[in-house]
Amino acid sequence: MSLYSHRRRVDAVAKALCWTGTLFGLSWLVLILGALIYEGARGLTPAVFTEMTPPPGSSGGLLNAIAGSLVMTAIGVVVGTPLGMLAGTYMAEYGRYSKLSTVVRFINDILLSAPSIVIGLFVYTVVVARVGHFSGVAGAIALAVLVVPVVVRTTEDMLLLVPGPLREAAAALGLPRSHMLLRVAYRAAKSGIITGVLLAVARVSGETAPLLFTSLNNQFWSTDLNAPLSSLPVVIFQFALSPYKDWQQLAWTGALLVTIAVLLLSISARALSSRGNYK
Amino acid sequence: MTAMPVIETKTSTKVSVRNLDFYYGQSHALKKISLPLYTNKVTAFIGPSGCGKSTLLRVLNRMYDLYPRQRAEGEVLLDGENILDPGIDLNLLRSRVGMVFQKPTPFPMSIYDNIAFGIRLYEKLSRSEMDGRVEAALRGAALWDEVRDKLTSSGLGLSGGQQQRLCIARSVAIQPEVILFDEPCSALDPISTAKIEELIDELSERYTIAIVTHNMQQAARVSDFTAFMYLGDLVEFGETNTLFTAPQNKKTQDYITGRFG
Amino acid sequence: MSEHIVSSYDRDLEALGRRIAEMGGIAEKMLGEAMDALANFDTELAHRVVATDTRLDALQREIEESAILTIARRQPLAVDLRECIAAMRIAADLERVGDLAKSIAKRTVKILAEARVPRAIIGLKTMAEVASLQLKDVLDAYAQRDVERAKTVWANDTELDALEDSVFRDLLTFMMEDPRNISFCTHLLFCSKNIERIGDHTTNVAETIVYLVTGESMPTERPKGGKPATPADEAKEQSL
Repeated sequence: MSLYSHRRRVDAVAKALCWTGTLFGLSWLVLILGALIYEGARGLTPAVFTEMTPPPGSSGGLLNAIAGSLVMTAIGVVVGTPLGMLAGTYMAEYGRYSKLSTVVRFINDILLSAPSIVIGLFVYTVVVARVGHFSGVAGAIALAVLVVPVVVRTTEDMLLLVPGPLREAAAALGLPRSHMLLRVAYRAAKSGIITGVLLAVARVSGETAPLLFTSLNNQFWSTDLNAPLSSLPVVIFQFALSPYKDWQQLAWTGALLVTIAVLLLSISARALSSRGNYK
Repeated sequence: MTAMPVIETKTSTKVSVRNLDFYYGQSHALKKISLPLYTNKVTAFIGPSGCGKSTLLRVLNRMYDLYPRQRAEGEVLLDGENILDPGIDLNLLRSRVGMVFQKPTPFPMSIYDNIAFGIRLYEKLSRSEMDGRVEAALRGAALWDEVRDKLTSSGLGLSGGQQQRLCIARSVAIQPEVILFDEPCSALDPISTAKIEELIDELSERYTIAIVTHNMQQAARVSDFTAFMYLGDLVEFGETNTLFTAPQNKKTQDYITGRFG
Repeated sequence: MSEHIVSSYDRDLEALGRRIAEMGGIAEKMLGEAMDALANFDTELAHRVVATDTRLDALQREIEESAILTIARRQPLAVDLRECIAAMRIAADLERVGDLAKSIAKRTVKILAEARVPRAIIGLKTMAEVASLQLKDVLDAYAQRDVERAKTVWANDTELDALEDSVFRDLLTFMMEDPRNISFCTHLLFCSKNIERIGDHTTNVAETIVYLVTGESMPTERPKGGKPATPADEAKEQSL
């Protein structure tokens, strides 16, 4: 009986510790979100979406930054996703048992956890330094390099989750491997792979470090990918560090926008993945 | 092992396994197996887990080829042609030797497409011809009446037993010659099981069938011939009627009567 | 034979075997006592034999029920299936042996009023002894699953058939000697037929034992020493 009451005491203590830890962690999150909404929502005016980033002292918005972010993220994803999917498909399907896959998987994992500033520096050396100037293209390349490992990983994982018997069933009908992949395995893994891509978008849309070295910033509206291009994270970084009140306000609002975008992407990724992978 | 008794039969041999050895890497999973599958007969493979019965089944359509470090030695003749020959066209072989798996494996697409999918690989049919083939396949699998109104809905929405019959319909649709069943009822309730068994019975009029089952009563119910395997050896092969009432080998007897040590 | 993984299965089959042994013992005793009653004109013993038959019938029903239950619940295969089927068949045969012994006992009461020819019973007693021995042998063969012994019993039935033939001729002689003997001798004729039938059931049991152990059926042609049974005989056997 005493053993039982002892167990109960231990259980109570452990439970209390768990609760404290959870509350501690959550409270910071709530504080951050609270501050962000409190500070950011104040500057959330239509002008944010219609006007360019202003010089200090005058009013303005974030349109060029939003557009730049969207363009570079889009290019990064469009370039990085097919590459990542191809590599992931090779590892899960064709090279499942090969040495090369093991090597690629290991390197990919390193890339996945590499600090994004390293990626920025790499693209700076390879692209910016060679071309001689910062550009939107360089920024997009940096983002693509960030997207690839995430997509490789999720594609491989999702394809590995496709049940072996389903693969065998396709083979048993006399399906060539390519058919099996395109018509059966991708279909079964579809929602998982899309989730992975969405998470990759969420990850890169908040990246600042790689863009600082590649696309830099542009105070004006620009669609020239060969020239420096504005982006939300970089603008936030610059404005937040500035001494000007209106710039700081815009930084808060930009941060709020990025957070909301990431949040929405995460939620839709969640929704997609829970709607059902092939079990 | 004991010499295989010669079965006198009026039917011809569809598949002839001769001195088959199979290896998973170093492990010797099948040892000098020789047995026939008679045309339009049902042959059941029984034996405890790990005896090699599923392995044997997976040699018959070279399913093991999907995996590395698995190899077969010996001969497996399908209508006299050795299917272990490296030059053989695997996709063609598998279109002749269909397979139904333990867990139902409908493809993530509509019921209609699940059937039409395989057909499209081999034949170019008009829409109406395809409709006819799909219906015939579903009827052949005794599923038509249950799904005729929802052909466009996902195959994943069917019950387990229906899914399994869909998979059978899918195999039948491409008109194979041999159908392999790998424990097709182990995930199904008794009524669904009975329906599958009835189906196997009907299919045996047109196809040569091999079935792996853990359920001895099932083997006794559906098969014409039974092979009892143990630790990679073929212990006894014979007519089901004899094997389940008066097996020749003591090991077979101990296994089917539940005395296995 | 090694044991089943499910031990209650073994107990079920053992119980079947035990009940068969019990039935065999009773049937053997009934035959011996019926013959004693007949030879000694002991009506009291005859009544006891008749009374014993109910126990035999009840046992037969029990065996049949538990064999059916075992088949339904355990789906026996191979030797176990043969065990159940054999138990049912042997129980039916033994029950018939009991019926035939009872029939002999009943005649003991009937022949009291008749003119007696004790000489005529001697042949019948020999027949009964042979039948008893056969029955005992076949029951031992069952207990020991002894195919050779069962086959010997099966082959020895010719002896009983031959004996029946000679008893038939003897009784015919007695009847021709003195028509007053006819009634008495006719009763004995029926008794000899009964004993011969007991022999047939004994060979049935022997055949069942061979099937039980080997899974093979004996040839349908049985060695027949006596005259072939006439349709009238068959009809009478049915009604017994």
